[in-house]
Amino acid sequence: MKKFVHVWLVTWLFTGLSVAIAQDQTVSGTVTSEKDGASVPGVSVAVKGTTQGTLTNAAGAYSIAVNSRATLVFSAIGFVTQEMAVGNRSVINVVLAEDTKTLNEVVVTALGISRDKKALGYSAQGVDNEELVQNRQTNLVNALQGKVAGVTINSTGGAPGQGARILIRGINSIDVGRDNQPLFVIDGILLDNSTSTTGSGSELRGMSNRAADINPDDVESINILKGGAATALYGLRGANGVVVITTKSGKAGALRANFSSTYGVENVNKFPEIQDKYTIGYKGEYDPNSFWPSWGPTVADAKKIDPTHPDKLYNHFKDAYRQGQQFQNNLSFSGGTDKVTFLSSISHLYHEGVIPFTSFNKLSARLNAQVKFSEKFTTSTNLNFINSGGDRYNADRFNESLNYWSPRYDVRDYIKPDGTMKTYGNNNPIYGAYTNKLKDNVNRLIGGVNFNYTPLTWLSLNYRAGLDTYSDSRLRTAPGPRGFADEYVYEDNALGFVYQYNTQFRSITSTFTASGTANFGDNLKATLRVGHDLYDRRSRSFGAEGNELTVYNYFDLRNAKSITPKQSAEDYRLMGIFGELTLEYQNYLYLTLTGRNDITSSLLAPNNSFFYPSASASYVFSQHLKLPQSISLGKLRASYAKIGKDALPYSTTTGYASYSSLPTGYTGFTRGDVLGDPTLRPEFTETFEGGLELGFFGSRLGLDFTYYHSLSKDQIIQVNVTSATGYSKAVINSGTMRNQGVELALRGSPIKKSNFSWDVNLNFSANRNTVISIREGLKEISYASQSGYAGSTVTQKLIPGTAYGNLYGTSYKRYYAKGSEGEEDPITIDKSRPIVIGTNGFPVRNTAQKLIGNALPRWVGGLNNNISYRDFSLSVLFDAQVGQYRYNQLDNFFSAFGIAKYTENRNETKVFDGVLADGTPNTKEVFLGQGKGPDGVDYNVGYYRNVYRGISENFVEDASWVRLRSVRLGYNLPASLFKKGPIRNVQLSVTGNNLWLATKYKGYDPEASSFNSGSNVTGFTGFVYPAVRSFLFSLNVGF
Amino acid sequence: MEYRTGSPCEKLNARQKQYSLIPTFTNSLIIMMKRTILIITLLTTLGMSGCKDYFDLNENPNQVITPPLKSLLSTTTQKTALNSQNVADFTSYFVQYLASPSAGSNTDTYQETSYSSTWDAIYYAMADLTDMKRLATEQNSSEYVGVADVMLSYHLNLIADTYGSGPFTQAFKAETLIPAYDSPEDMYNKGLRLLDDGIAELSKTDSNIKLSAADDLIHGGKREAWLKTAYALKARMLNKISKKANYDPAAVLEAVSKSYTSNADDAQMGVFLLRSPWAQTARNNALLVLDGWLSNQLIDQLNGTTYGLFDPRVEKITDKTIDDVYKGTVNGAGNSTAASNTVKDESYISLNSPLTGDSSALLIVTYAEVKLIEAEAALRAGNSERAYKAYLEGIKANMDKLGVATAARDKYVGNPIVSVGAANLTLDLIFKEKYVITYLNPEAWVDARRFDYKYKGFKLPVSAALTTFIRRVAYPTNEISENGVNVPAASPLSEPLFWDK
Repeated sequence: MKKFVHVWLVTWLFTGLSVAIAQDQTVSGTVTSEKDGASVPGVSVAVKGTTQGTLTNAAGAYSIAVNSRATLVFSAIGFVTQEMAVGNRSVINVVLAEDTKTLNEVVVTALGISRDKKALGYSAQGVDNEELVQNRQTNLVNALQGKVAGVTINSTGGAPGQGARILIRGINSIDVGRDNQPLFVIDGILLDNSTSTTGSGSELRGMSNRAADINPDDVESINILKGGAATALYGLRGANGVVVITTKSGKAGALRANFSSTYGVENVNKFPEIQDKYTIGYKGEYDPNSFWPSWGPTVADAKKIDPTHPDKLYNHFKDAYRQGQQFQNNLSFSGGTDKVTFLSSISHLYHEGVIPFTSFNKLSARLNAQVKFSEKFTTSTNLNFINSGGDRYNADRFNESLNYWSPRYDVRDYIKPDGTMKTYGNNNPIYGAYTNKLKDNVNRLIGGVNFNYTPLTWLSLNYRAGLDTYSDSRLRTAPGPRGFADEYVYEDNALGFVYQYNTQFRSITSTFTASGTANFGDNLKATLRVGHDLYDRRSRSFGAEGNELTVYNYFDLRNAKSITPKQSAEDYRLMGIFGELTLEYQNYLYLTLTGRNDITSSLLAPNNSFFYPSASASYVFSQHLKLPQSISLGKLRASYAKIGKDALPYSTTTGYASYSSLPTGYTGFTRGDVLGDPTLRPEFTETFEGGLELGFFGSRLGLDFTYYHSLSKDQIIQVNVTSATGYSKAVINSGTMRNQGVELALRGSPIKKSNFSWDVNLNFSANRNTVISIREGLKEISYASQSGYAGSTVTQKLIPGTAYGNLYGTSYKRYYAKGSEGEEDPITIDKSRPIVIGTNGFPVRNTAQKLIGNALPRWVGGLNNNISYRDFSLSVLFDAQVGQYRYNQLDNFFSAFGIAKYTENRNETKVFDGVLADGTPNTKEVFLGQGKGPDGVDYNVGYYRNVYRGISENFVEDASWVRLRSVRLGYNLPASLFKKGPIRNVQLSVTGNNLWLATKYKGYDPEASSFNSGSNVTGFTGFVYPAVRSFLFSLNVGF
Repeated sequence: MEYRTGSPCEKLNARQKQYSLIPTFTNSLIIMMKRTILIITLLTTLGMSGCKDYFDLNENPNQVITPPLKSLLSTTTQKTALNSQNVADFTSYFVQYLASPSAGSNTDTYQETSYSSTWDAIYYAMADLTDMKRLATEQNSSEYVGVADVMLSYHLNLIADTYGSGPFTQAFKAETLIPAYDSPEDMYNKGLRLLDDGIAELSKTDSNIKLSAADDLIHGGKREAWLKTAYALKARMLNKISKKANYDPAAVLEAVSKSYTSNADDAQMGVFLLRSPWAQTARNNALLVLDGWLSNQLIDQLNGTTYGLFDPRVEKITDKTIDDVYKGTVNGAGNSTAASNTVKDESYISLNSPLTGDSSALLIVTYAEVKLIEAEAALRAGNSERAYKAYLEGIKANMDKLGVATAARDKYVGNPIVSVGAANLTLDLIFKEKYVITYLNPEAWVDARRFDYKYKGFKLPVSAALTTFIRRVAYPTNEISENGVNVPAASPLSEPLFWDK
């Protein structure tokens, strides 16, 4: 319906407009340059709102027939576009100003300091509101996807409100428990972006990363600070990069209002391929109640035995998911006088996911106000209240149960009239989603005040205090059994439970800076900033887990047979004193030196106070040297930084924790998990970065290239230690890790006319990581694994000399001639060698875990196109992550349960390609199915269960992808429609997300992850909440 | 301006503690702002030196530094009983008390399997015991030292009898994160030594701190009971080396004589957070998480198939199937029928059993078992009269423990298949009866190996990964990754442990 209205409006408006245009006078004139007064040839002179136009000749002259109400638009490469109303003039001469936008671009850097981009000795890249909201992503982190070089973003799945992970320039810490994600700062306040997995079951339920609370519509711009020099002033918290968010502020003038509304629908974008030939049973024998969903006979054979068998199997994977939908509404007001300006906004999101009974709600209200008391003193306040949360379900369990479910039965028929589970025997996944619940509810307040005092023209003082506080309540429930004789209890619900958790979080940020500027002669200018910075974080969690409900569906702790309390507390404080000196020589040479001393509560004196410096330089050679006209900007930059890092809180202590497994009435203590070290020292990372920025033809083409190298030594890591130490982890100073990479950002405007423009933005980055050392006496650190059948478990481990993210597992045994077995590398697989076939005719498994692939991408890229033609705008965003591998646990189960399409060959015979132990080619023909083969041999449970499912190599897949991330088409209704009345502009748009995906990966969209967005583990994409393809329809009205 | 170091900050901390945990947001904002400004004012005016305490947050609020002895006693007594069950959870398949409902399951068919969580649980318990012993020594509590010794010895044996060896001398200290392994012989000798030390400590009557009755989940704080348990465990250990030249039946009998005298002495734990782990297995099985299926080896012995004599204990161990029989599952073969797994056509671990009900105690070592140890040692020493008496007493004690009716008990014991007369008593008969007595106890696997699995009708599991019966399990994979430099080279699971050779 909406589409139809859209088309109708467009047609109507065009007809109306063409009537209004009539030419009744001729205007002529010349165009000159402001800089040297020379005439400018080739200037486009267009009549605004029409297709009419001409160009200036070699002498810069033009002539055009127009209507007196028309406006002329003068535009040319390298100049600022100018508009002139015709009125009753017949001669209009125009002086065009040079476009120096690229040179004078101002960016928000550390601590909210605005600086000229040209003065920066490090790379900085920003995303403005328009770009940010172009694909209407509800999670701020997802909204950055593909838009910034050097940044890798993965949405961990398609659940409403599901967390997204962001990494800048790769993984920096060997410790899988350390946060490698950047610091988030909003209007100078530190924003918590953790993904909390507090509470039973939340690990696998796609909890939100806390930055998802921020409404992207409120954001004016986001700047990404990547390297050490860029983040130096943030101190150790900025060690993984910083995402600096600036929210919108009001402008003086009339009151403005804006309303936008979006409705969207979504579906799973990619399903795994499943077989549709074999039905329920085992070893080819039909059994309608079998545990085995697909090892039975063919559908045709089953129908002969059981006439009630459906003609075709269901596609239970497609059936179990539904169409999701979402509603977003935003309303904002802004305005003010020259003394007071404000912006207020309220937004609401309701989102239903593709797994039944999953949803997410977010309500956000914001007030930003600025008061200018005098020319010397200004103050501003930002307040943002958010309520968010939803119904989360365990996608891992949902998909696992789908594997067990036989497609002989309709999975959507999940409930009996009495409310208990309907099933032929196995657990119904939809019933699980219906009854086994986790709801979270977050109430959050982010607020800050900022005072700015400029007592003298050369001196300014700034103080900012901010608060980020929230309560996160979680309720986890499952009903108990009803006690009916024919009742099937959903396995995970056990005897019913009610768990409640509450976390209180608050952090305070306080920053004071003083900056002074002085000129030394005509050529040298110096700016000195000194400051003090404090961060104080406190969190308290309480919970109670009640098991076994007496009233089956009364979810109250007083209704539970046993109650286990849960509690934890953490305090952390950090203070920094910093200084920054910037020297500016003749507008082309810049040098910035910084130093910061941190005092942290997580290390013991004297190790808790430490200093580190940085230096960066920028040489704008285009301002210094005579360059060809076409080169409008040329800049070289280089920086060096040393960044310190402290430990996780309480890493220096060792004690006894409450032992919670005792029955009610008993209390006990047990050794804590972690062996602390009171002598821990801060770890330091040294980074070097060099770059080149070039601009051509004014702002029409820009290039920004960066190379960086960083080395973290003596890392503070929690390593898993043998339980024979009495601890599960120990905190130590050990290990070295290196990251190096390149980033390239290209911006271009192939077409730039008043009515038609096309901007292209290409980002590319590649990072290489090496774990140089881990710890003495330790050969490897294994930090994550996911199970596979028959020994095919895949493990991620760190081995010195290899990269973070490597996936290890079992493989096909490769042939090494007798005597040359020693040539076999203990880590890598030589895939050029033939596979060894056993005397039974089947491939032989190498049970030692070997390297199969790395989970981090070789390179990531994004290509964003923005085309605007008259009142239409079109954005097309592609992005790619290439070279990463994922363990597909789903496919491991698919082979074990005969669900994969490729298992349809189960009743065929085959000669496996490979050689026997003596090196001679294998010629033995074997049966792939279960039971007796045509040769009379008993093949027991068949090739897929006997051999295939046990070899990890089959399931660690190339998960590279290229996708059409989004396409957005917008249409602005002509302003002439709203001359009377309060409406100023109306925009209609339609957005499609995830429209096309190219990948070899066999499972769901490989972008999703089995691990939550706060985790550093990215190698597992099996039973995930599938990604979605969505279509969103938006209306935006400005008043 | 001069302030005494720290004082203003202490006030700040005190205020912070008063701060309500569930603030209204407006209030909290005002409070925060005020406090922030206060903090800043303090910091900037005092300078950092006056505020060192502000950054001194190294006391972990989630932990205590010196726990009282009784709080370690509750933890370690519970862990001891649970670890006995943890080990039995897989060794019960090796001795074929249990059989997996799915064909070819790892444990059932002797595949190399990593029992990491059990290994870890045993080591964490030993760490707590080491700390309890250290703190008790500091506080001159001979009773706590003695109990710690006994339980440490028990755990050391669980590791040694399952894996062969493990770290001990260098374990539980912060000095090394990669503790070396003690040799199997050292593990044995240290285990025995710990029992002797424990016996010495528990024999003292002047303990500075007495065992807390309310926190002892095994013996309710009774020193004498622990002393008897120490002797029972010593008898077990001395009897374990029956294959060795230095086996001394007289020493076994001496330990036995100072040990249990009735079922009331048994070392057991019967309080749980929710229920016995075996009962949980039974309930899970009912909820389709298939587990706890009884093996045909056990069922056939009990229901008369193997020996031609119905053992009334079967009624106290499991339930009849829907076909009104007792039926076990063949190890390695999995569920024998094509019917749905929810149909009770096999015998499972039962909630109705006094051994596996919701509140049934986990048995660590029992009077009945000690009697059978006595029978074996006496028989080996040539004293068949004593052996025979202990043999019959052990069976009766076990039947009483299970609540078998006296008539049924006497009928079984009186049958000539059981009451063979002292002259006809054999090791085979002793092991046969002990097999039932140690149902679901990890000690059963020690016996099976000492007896070389010569139970009547005992067969290799279907599609077993070994050609002989299993003698050890593989070191856990996480141990290999975390302490690989010290883990002994892998031996086949058919390779006997040192006392089994």
